[in-house]
Amino acid sequence: MGKGGMSHGSAGEAKDGEEENMAAWLLGINTLKIQPFKLPPLGPHDVKIRVKAVGICGSDVHYLKTLRCADFIVKEPMVIGHECAGIIEEVGSEVKKLVPGDRVALEPGISCWRCNLCKEGRYNLCPEMKFFATPPVHGSLANQVVHPADLCFKLPGSVSLEEGAMCEPLSVGVHACRRANIGPETNVLVMGAGPIGLVTMLAARAFGAPRIVIVDVDDHRLSVAKELGADDIVKVSTNIQDVAEEVSQIHKAMEAGIDVTFDCAGFNKTMSTALSATRAGGKVCLVGMGHSEMTVPLTPAAAREVDVVGIFRYKNTWPLCLEFISSGKIDVKPLITHRFGFSQKEVEEAFETSAGGGNAIKVMFNL
Amino acid sequence: MSGGIVEVKEHKDGEENMAAWLVGIKTLKIEPYHLPPLGPHDVKVQIKALGICGSDVHHFKNMRCANFIVKKPMVIGHECAGIIEEVGSQVKTLAVGDRVALEPGISCRRCNLCKDGRYNLCPEMKFFGSPPTNGSLANKVVHPEYLCFKLPDNVSLEEGAMCEPLSVGVHACRRANISPETNVLIVGAGPIGLIVLLAARAFGAPRIVIVDVDDCRLSIAKNLGADETIQVSTNIQDVGEEVVKLQSAMGSGIDVSFDCVGLNKTMSTALNATRSGGKVCLIGLAQSETTVPLTPAAVREVDVIGIFRYRNTWPLCIELLKTGKIDVKPLITHRFGFSQKGVEDAFETSASGRSAIKVMFNL
Repeated sequence: MGKGGMSHGSAGEAKDGEEENMAAWLLGINTLKIQPFKLPPLGPHDVKIRVKAVGICGSDVHYLKTLRCADFIVKEPMVIGHECAGIIEEVGSEVKKLVPGDRVALEPGISCWRCNLCKEGRYNLCPEMKFFATPPVHGSLANQVVHPADLCFKLPGSVSLEEGAMCEPLSVGVHACRRANIGPETNVLVMGAGPIGLVTMLAARAFGAPRIVIVDVDDHRLSVAKELGADDIVKVSTNIQDVAEEVSQIHKAMEAGIDVTFDCAGFNKTMSTALSATRAGGKVCLVGMGHSEMTVPLTPAAAREVDVVGIFRYKNTWPLCLEFISSGKIDVKPLITHRFGFSQKEVEEAFETSAGGGNAIKVMFNL
Repeated sequence: MSGGIVEVKEHKDGEENMAAWLVGIKTLKIEPYHLPPLGPHDVKVQIKALGICGSDVHHFKNMRCANFIVKKPMVIGHECAGIIEEVGSQVKTLAVGDRVALEPGISCRRCNLCKDGRYNLCPEMKFFGSPPTNGSLANKVVHPEYLCFKLPDNVSLEEGAMCEPLSVGVHACRRANISPETNVLIVGAGPIGLIVLLAARAFGAPRIVIVDVDDCRLSIAKNLGADETIQVSTNIQDVGEEVVKLQSAMGSGIDVSFDCVGLNKTMSTALNATRSGGKVCLIGLAQSETTVPLTPAAVREVDVIGIFRYRNTWPLCIELLKTGKIDVKPLITHRFGFSQKGVEDAFETSASGRSAIKVMFNL
């Protein structure tokens, strides 16, 4: 596991002796610059956090490379990053449950709490969602951020700040496992052994899945998956003609019907494989967002009542993630493969490493 | 509305049992049909009413339907009701003379899916008119007691036969959790779309918008109680514009969309029109591989629910018909008798679509 350079905090001295808050700003394609980030005033229900750990997500890399991600377009400079944890520095006047010094993991998205979706608890789908580093909302790769206290979750003593930051990607896996009703009776197939496939696998095991088979095109990622507890791994191709044969191999590897398949890649081939491989009455959970329009054998799956369940981010997952991590049911530490400090050079290297894929699973900043 | 000559064939004891056999593409012949012996839990039913389904027409035209291939002559038909003529030695709940509606499919009752209650997905399912299992367009059939449901006095034999297509709608409404809080969009106003309209209303759906390319079918839908109807095109470029129209017609979010057609365009429309967190129920099985904007729907957590036939729906269908919550009679647009000519005319009528919704045989 690689390690980046030493942490050189880039702290400009502001005139009244306080450190100026610095952040990593996305200014243009492939252009990140550490610059001052002026924080909003602290509201009564807010807290100010000194950010200590931030992980890089595939969506962060996508914004860096293209200035957009699906329908979200970066139109003005934006602070990047959203998978984070830190230490409370200041609390608003109405904050009762957190105090300065508390170590917390942050849930990135602030929903409106007024619309029907929010009131129903499906706040992840709120159309007014303000989410760290989803334009135009600034992210959290910064020295400090201001955030609602109810979206900050205190870390148990045994859980590190890096593990706190890992709650965010882990939440995607946890939310997917809930929506797909993973339990001690569901045999699970995971398509894709990238960061999302791996957290989904870890979550599925924590939810009790008795048997998990994971597939990928990349040998290294498959071996990581095996080490993390996959019951069996199958190497697959990118060639859509191979679907039928691979489904056969996958069935052999599972040794039983596949109840739930998580497509953590989201391409025609992976969805076609998932739809064909899953047993009648089972579910395919589409987590990955590879392609927008897909050509897939939907009808044969629908005629076997294989349902397609969509996933968008997560809701109400932090407490469970922290429970899984603190009890040891899930160990996310092996997923953190590279670490960098918060300096111009290291920010650039970190994103390059993350974008490179391969051995890099989770690239983590230590601030 | 009825068409054709209703020819009632008198069937006396000792007469040979006749059935409509599919012997080749577009070739149906009424010929003898030798019934299996009556098991202890079986009943013999004199068929009195039988409806034609799109799948029957498909088998008729192509000698296949999806993966079901007609390799040898097969009796066609599966939507039926009749009168009990004989009961097996262990039959307790039915008696000779009882009027019953038949659920077509005999599942194995041993596999995990059956034991789980999802018997419609049983891989060993033996279903009337799905090759190689003979159907029920015949004077008589033999069938298990537990798949024959007694009709109340105020429910006719034709309505009994309608329980089969109605079951598809009922099963879909259950899987999609239709309730007094779900606004429903129905794509396609053919027999299945119209059945879903009736079922959704019976499940309490407050607002139902239905779309089709055919204005004749849309006016039938309006008469059957659709809150609003919209004519759409077959052109996939029109999806964006049509989605705006339908959402406007609904007035509020579309909670559940039923695609009763199953083409790229209808699926794309359904996926785009349904609100975040809603469901699209795919009932129509027109296309095998579909190119659809699946990801934009998945990232709004619009789930796609598949429907295959039905399970445990006859009691509810019969109850809905008995209480008048659903009236299926307007769907029966054409009637034919059980003769060579009647059978040929009936299939031709059903295949032509348009004003023909449900073509019914009276035997």
